[in-house]
Amino acid sequence: MTRKVCVIGVGNTDFNSMTPDVSWKEFMYEACKKAYVDAGINPREDVDSFITCAEDYWEGFSIFDEFVPDQIGAVLRPCCTVCGDGIQGLASAYMQIMTGLVDTVAVESHSKISDALSYGDVVLHAMDPIYEKPVAGQVERERFSGPSYPEKSPKPLVGKTDEKGRVHPYYIAGLEMQHYLRSTKTTEEQCASVVVKNKRNAYDNPMADYECSLIEDDVMQSEYLFKPVKELDISPLVDGAICFVLAEEGVAKNLGVEPIYLNGFGYSSETPWFSSRGMDAGYATMASKMAYKMAGIKDPKGAFDIIEVDDRFSYKELQHIEALGLAKPGEAAKMLENGELEKDGKLPTNISGGSLGIGNCLEATGLQRSLEIVTQLRGFAGKRQVKNPEVGLAQSWRGIPSGTGAAAIFSRYPEVKA
Amino acid sequence: MMTFFEKQTNPLDQAHHMGNLMVDNMYTSGTAGKKFFTHLKENDTFLASRCKKCGTTFFPPRLYCEDCFIEIPEEDWKEVPAQGTVRLFTIATLNTFGEKLDEPKVIGMIDIEGTDGAMLGYIETDETNKDLIGSKVKAVLREKKDREGTVKDIRYFQVL
Repeated sequence: MTRKVCVIGVGNTDFNSMTPDVSWKEFMYEACKKAYVDAGINPREDVDSFITCAEDYWEGFSIFDEFVPDQIGAVLRPCCTVCGDGIQGLASAYMQIMTGLVDTVAVESHSKISDALSYGDVVLHAMDPIYEKPVAGQVERERFSGPSYPEKSPKPLVGKTDEKGRVHPYYIAGLEMQHYLRSTKTTEEQCASVVVKNKRNAYDNPMADYECSLIEDDVMQSEYLFKPVKELDISPLVDGAICFVLAEEGVAKNLGVEPIYLNGFGYSSETPWFSSRGMDAGYATMASKMAYKMAGIKDPKGAFDIIEVDDRFSYKELQHIEALGLAKPGEAAKMLENGELEKDGKLPTNISGGSLGIGNCLEATGLQRSLEIVTQLRGFAGKRQVKNPEVGLAQSWRGIPSGTGAAAIFSRYPEVKA
Repeated sequence: MMTFFEKQTNPLDQAHHMGNLMVDNMYTSGTAGKKFFTHLKENDTFLASRCKKCGTTFFPPRLYCEDCFIEIPEEDWKEVPAQGTVRLFTIATLNTFGEKLDEPKVIGMIDIEGTDGAMLGYIETDETNKDLIGSKVKAVLREKKDREGTVKDIRYFQVL
């Protein structure tokens, strides 16, 4: 009999612009502990394998994997890090379970980005160092210079005026939004409506940190930072940790928890070269095709009762809906205008508030989206509960300047009714 | 006021320990990069490489085709003019710390003439409100004596 993989427990911290009260270890512990309690298991005995999704530069450590085991219950147990989005972690967990070697896997991802004082430079450092990164400007300093601050005043480099000439790499989003608006005849006003919707949705999500009552004019009048990207088109950074416990369905039955099945997933990466890369979120198209095939979904239109897509910039929500094959190019904005993306619409989208409403939690974004889908499928979403959803799609992107994305399909049933 | 403007955003105000990563790297230009930049030091043109099988002309030039996954031999490199067309542009106003730059920078994605590739670069223009898309631009290079064999030798793109 084919094994089936399902979610048996989820846990998360609140999402906050800063988390000065807890260390990164403490808030990872909080999310994991909640997930294990939710599943009704003891991680020291019942979890066979542990996965964290993290990237060293975000964390500020070399070999971050080494700093993980104690706070997630994984000391002297099989444990590894996936350097990617949380949905890529879920995919690894699924595959581990399908081998039959393990039955229960914990997947954790988080953002403690308020600890990172050089966010813009870390993002910039992700660009090709020979042809593309230097365009933003470079720090010219002596080679092998050793400590970069005076010994007597151990202040960080942050704030030195001669270090401030580099252009923030979000300019890439300015270029891409320009492309999206032109190629689909979508307007800046329609993108502003995404911001209004998601920040309004966030009011009904107690975890969200960036809820706000806005009208389109507020967004339109916010300052152009990377034209046509305006200040309010950008999702602000947030801290938060999420843990999923995945298991073979027999485990769920023994525990007596209601399983939410992981029916399909996919992930894909564009070429890193901006010089050769498409700007139509091809990574999302390929990732979703893989996921649809795995879940046996022939036509994604009408297949989902709720979706959560990456909206780290306002236009990204519309671009991703189209890339996922849920709307033709240029039609996502019309769906938004017709109310189809609202809670009671045909395709409820980012009812959680998305990254615009909750905050951008970097590699944890995929799990944040998956968390909303699982919460909705369980019927635990409170005021923002969509009526009786059965199948949901979570999609994420690794952010500027990456061309990598992932998608996951969850449902209340072992097989998605196609 | 809007709630999210009132968030505390300076983590340095909180109890913390400082730390940093003192890392310097060099990045080998590679065979293709060396050839491209050596040429650029002595000439006012660019080099590109063309895949025989699919016909894609790579700029910046590469030793292999990412689609066909085959090598591109030396005879399939060609010289192209250091100019192109603005595919996309944006006006960047922030530095990497999220603070205002002294001067906004116009940055473009320039499709390089005679190739299927493009390049990111500054565009020098007095008319920042103008729609630059489709404009022909020329690379303004450093004086030959000052060239160091890096992408910095391309100072900016000038609208023709």
